[in-house]
Amino acid sequence: MKEKIIQVESLTGGYDGSIVLKNVTLDVYKGEVLVIVGKSGCGKSTIMRYFLGLQKPYSGRVLFDGTDIWSCPAALNESRKRWGVLFQSGALLGNYTVIENVMLPLKEFTSLTMAEMMDVALSKLEVVGLEHAAFENPLEISGGMQKRAGLARAMVLDPEVLFFDEPSAGLDPVTSAELDNSILSVNRSLGTTLIIVTHELASIFAISDRVVMLDPEEHGIIASGTARDLADSSEDPRVRAFFGRKIGE
Amino acid sequence: MNGEIAHNGDRIRISGRFSVKDLEDVTTSLEGNSARHLVLDFSNCQSIDGCIAVRIWSIAEAKNAKGASLEFRGMNPDIEAIFNTFKAIDDRPALPVQKHTLLYNFEDIGDKVLATWDTVYGLAIFTAKAFKALFSGKVRGSITAYYMEQSGVMAIPIVITLNWLMGVVLGYQAGYQMSQFGGELFMPALLAYSICWEIGPMMTAVLVAGRSGSAFAAEIGTMKVRQEVDALEVMGFNLYGYIVTPKMIALFVVMPLLITAANFAGMAGGLAAGGIFLKMPAVVYIAEVRKALIPFDLYWGVVKGFFYSTIISVTGSYMGMRVRGGPAAVGRATTSAVVVSIFLVILVDALLSLLFIHIRPGLLL
Repeated sequence: MKEKIIQVESLTGGYDGSIVLKNVTLDVYKGEVLVIVGKSGCGKSTIMRYFLGLQKPYSGRVLFDGTDIWSCPAALNESRKRWGVLFQSGALLGNYTVIENVMLPLKEFTSLTMAEMMDVALSKLEVVGLEHAAFENPLEISGGMQKRAGLARAMVLDPEVLFFDEPSAGLDPVTSAELDNSILSVNRSLGTTLIIVTHELASIFAISDRVVMLDPEEHGIIASGTARDLADSSEDPRVRAFFGRKIGE
Repeated sequence: MNGEIAHNGDRIRISGRFSVKDLEDVTTSLEGNSARHLVLDFSNCQSIDGCIAVRIWSIAEAKNAKGASLEFRGMNPDIEAIFNTFKAIDDRPALPVQKHTLLYNFEDIGDKVLATWDTVYGLAIFTAKAFKALFSGKVRGSITAYYMEQSGVMAIPIVITLNWLMGVVLGYQAGYQMSQFGGELFMPALLAYSICWEIGPMMTAVLVAGRSGSAFAAEIGTMKVRQEVDALEVMGFNLYGYIVTPKMIALFVVMPLLITAANFAGMAGGLAAGGIFLKMPAVVYIAEVRKALIPFDLYWGVVKGFFYSTIISVTGSYMGMRVRGGPAAVGRATTSAVVVSIFLVILVDALLSLLFIHIRPGLLL
């Protein structure tokens, strides 16, 4: 039986009293690639904020490896050391070079020497194909490179779970495919659990093990399954509309 | 299963999964074993992460350098692949060294002089373009009103409170010193004159530079970072007319009013100090102030207000427009806007005081 790494139990939440997610229950299993999709405003980024402990739910719980992340401040801090996040913009710090950005978690959470940190950071930059840009300023490299550098930073501590918020947004198809390959290689080689919010159909089919679809009217999950199953056999018109769109429609 | 380490003479067997939290245990075990030829057995080890691998690799290199050795056995392909990435890094680049020495400050003098000249020249050109836009463009009423509210109306409480307190402090200090030789009756004149000529305008300018100058720089800087300025430019907007002149006009209107309010608040502070500490009746204080001041003394604050409002609005906008890069650049622009504005306000104040101190006696006649 597959082991659960994250459990969302009857979560209700939103912003300033308004409800975005209502009574959502979702399990994420170790080693799977879970993709969260849905229309704008359906709560994809909101559920990500609850996974990451950036927001406390109105009701319900989020458990990471069996522990409620809001049970005490230490629980959240400990959980955060075990996951990595790639934000939409890459979220690299402009005051540091690319390699210094990648080394940040190592400096904060390990006792590695500077030389060791550089070796680890360079090895991660090599995984994402950015070793040549290690000493560049993050603001002076392309958007795709920024995201790959963000990916290197997110996985520098070899986290158990990696979160991605719209990894392909703003990238051309070739760069997007390269990033998908980098993401998949992390999952395949290290067994890292990946939770990805995206709109890109090509990415969804290329990398997902399971897709969960949220809907703004339902304030929750309306479909769950493999991308192929949802695209081919779902009878829900909202799911069919999402997966069935073609260029020109 | 987490990682376990078992020692057996010159052999260390590691089993399970090792992650960064096991770093100290791994280090202690490997460094604590002084065997000349140490065997590290990975047969029962499922995985190690990059941090553990790089530490083991460092210790192996250190042992080799001392003539000892660390032999790896039984690695699965995944673990071997992780070690291979570190083997590949044989030419580790050095991090650029940041210069923070005392000597560097002297080496940097030439660059700083050139940067200062760039700022002065850029600010002068920017001011000229802003005035050109001011006299040739249309007045954007609603935006200007917004800045008048932000920079003027919302600044009234702090300007009045601070200047009233300055009046109390100066009134008490001046009165106390003068009472030593029976001259406390001159306190109202001294205070009113200092407030209207220097303290009121200066304190107001410093406050407005801190509140509004910094806000202008941060707002425009953020617009630059978010490419909003580029968007306005490609849509054909006159950037100076749209971004800078509403701020200038707003300060032209509110600054003289704030200074006038500051002057009266300061003199009211002197009145309170006179009454409390010197037992001076209010009518006496007011009569002495009226004897000492001429209308020009009050208008003078208004005149200074126009100069100060130009400095603060243009400097704040200029520093915002110079932003390049990310959020840190916005922070630097904000700091520069306040520092340069206050410096220029004091410089212009000194020049105006030197110039107009000779005009006032003529007005008294």
